[in-house]
Amino acid sequence: MIIPININASSSSTGPLPPQLAQFGTDELVLIEMQGTLEVEGSKAGQAVGKLTVDEKTKKPTLRIGHHLLEGKLVNLPKPLAVLHRPPRPLSNDDDETDIGGERDWSGAQKTQVEWDVVAVVRKKMVFSKRPMPMVASIPVAPGGSVVKKAG
Amino acid sequence: MSTVDLKFTSSLQDAGSFKLMELPPDLCKLIEQSIESNTPTQWTVKGQSTDDAVLCTSTKTYALRSVVLSNSVLVVTRSEDADLMDSSDTVVIRDTLHEVLEPVVSVPKLQVLNGLLRGRVYDEGHEDVDEDVEMEEDDRRGSQSQTDGRPTRKRKFTYDDARETLQASQVELDRGLRERRVLIIDGTLLLCSPATIHSAVYSGELRPIAPSYLTTILELLLNYLVSLSLPHSAAPVSELTTSLEDDHEIKAKVSKQVMAWFGDVDDGLWVMDVKGVVREIGLGILRAYKDDPIPETDFMSKWKTAVGDTFEQSTSLDLLHGNFISIPPSESFSPTPLLSYFPSSSLPTDPFARFADLFLTRSRWKADDISPFLMDICVDNKERDKLLLKYARAITDKDGVWYTARAK
Repeated sequence: MIIPININASSSSTGPLPPQLAQFGTDELVLIEMQGTLEVEGSKAGQAVGKLTVDEKTKKPTLRIGHHLLEGKLVNLPKPLAVLHRPPRPLSNDDDETDIGGERDWSGAQKTQVEWDVVAVVRKKMVFSKRPMPMVASIPVAPGGSVVKKAG
Repeated sequence: MSTVDLKFTSSLQDAGSFKLMELPPDLCKLIEQSIESNTPTQWTVKGQSTDDAVLCTSTKTYALRSVVLSNSVLVVTRSEDADLMDSSDTVVIRDTLHEVLEPVVSVPKLQVLNGLLRGRVYDEGHEDVDEDVEMEEDDRRGSQSQTDGRPTRKRKFTYDDARETLQASQVELDRGLRERRVLIIDGTLLLCSPATIHSAVYSGELRPIAPSYLTTILELLLNYLVSLSLPHSAAPVSELTTSLEDDHEIKAKVSKQVMAWFGDVDDGLWVMDVKGVVREIGLGILRAYKDDPIPETDFMSKWKTAVGDTFEQSTSLDLLHGNFISIPPSESFSPTPLLSYFPSSSLPTDPFARFADLFLTRSRWKADDISPFLMDICVDNKERDKLLLKYARAITDKDGVWYTARAK
């Protein structure tokens, strides 16, 4: 079986990132590393995660998720990483669905039509390595007028 | 302060559609070159479902290791969604990754070729694959095992099949086929320069040539060079192929490939690789002395006779490294060292098994003697030394350094 990996193919670009973000990766793609995983109840699709802020002076990124604040930093990668993307199948292929399974290689294995594109080569990443801090002070006043006070 | 909204992508197709691959300097350079020169390049991941996947560039093979990350890596881009395109303050998480692929340079896995090509030997009178006849190919690997379970009718195994099946880059595959002396029968573009070979797709059937047949062809070629008084540095290909075909029924498509293996064909002229031809003829003679060693002096004189006066000077045991072991006079009660045929190509490829075999053959080896038998399982001398360190024990005495088996 052969899976092609295309370099410098005309990739489906989604447009440039804001410059503040682009400095943490490439013009179009940024890798954000964090401890643990982002858990979502129900479907992830389209869900808002939080607000990502880059301080213009200190260049420190912060990520606010709900009442939690994460502080991040820029990390240069020891070895560059290629980001591979498997483009979704073009719609026109749907008609050929019956063809799949028809083609077999010498050993009898099915030929797949998967291809991957190298969409970016990144040399740095944004890393949130610390635990999230609760954001008590900046919680807006609740509708009832009471403010949750920081214990101690 | 600038703030953007971070969202999960609304596209359901994105999950699992991204991967990260670490780039060693050479691979990184290839990508940079491709981008600078603006030429699309293609690498391939190859392997059957049971193999460990490898990554192949046009010239090299890399084993792919998966390194699992305990952290999550989010792939963040501008949103694909047209509705959000205009809102410049939203970026989306396209995928969440927990794994990085790490390519490690490795030797091409061409050994399977030996098995795939078994029973397809091209020999005098055996131009077509014959199902009933036992082929000589197994001589090297110690007979037996070939009797049962043969399919009665074989599908042809073509160059394209090899390209799809074998975990090796194009250059390495072509080299492997040359080194194994595999003919490509009825393919197109048999004699082309390396530059055109890559763009050419050909479906010729792969047939390893019988070693004895190859020796015969080479000896005939040398004879014709002399009898037709052609210069070996520029011999007309057509004249030689016609003579071979007319007098010895050796098909031009075969002799042409043989000439390409042993030299360069340029503009209808064959520039013979003298060392290569001399070496192959030497191997042909040596092959007969597998279990029954031949005194070195006898062997050398046979070899010189076979190559003729013109090329006598080129014979040297150095050419045959990795194909014989020499038994010193002290051990053999003979006045000169004895040589016996011992090709590294017939040894196991797994380092552990290979060292076991080597130390069974001989209990201790000099570094210079053992290294030719390790060349095909390591990429460079550094890796060879690593293997020696791992699987052998070095002992120094008055004669120098010896390698012996590691005690169990």
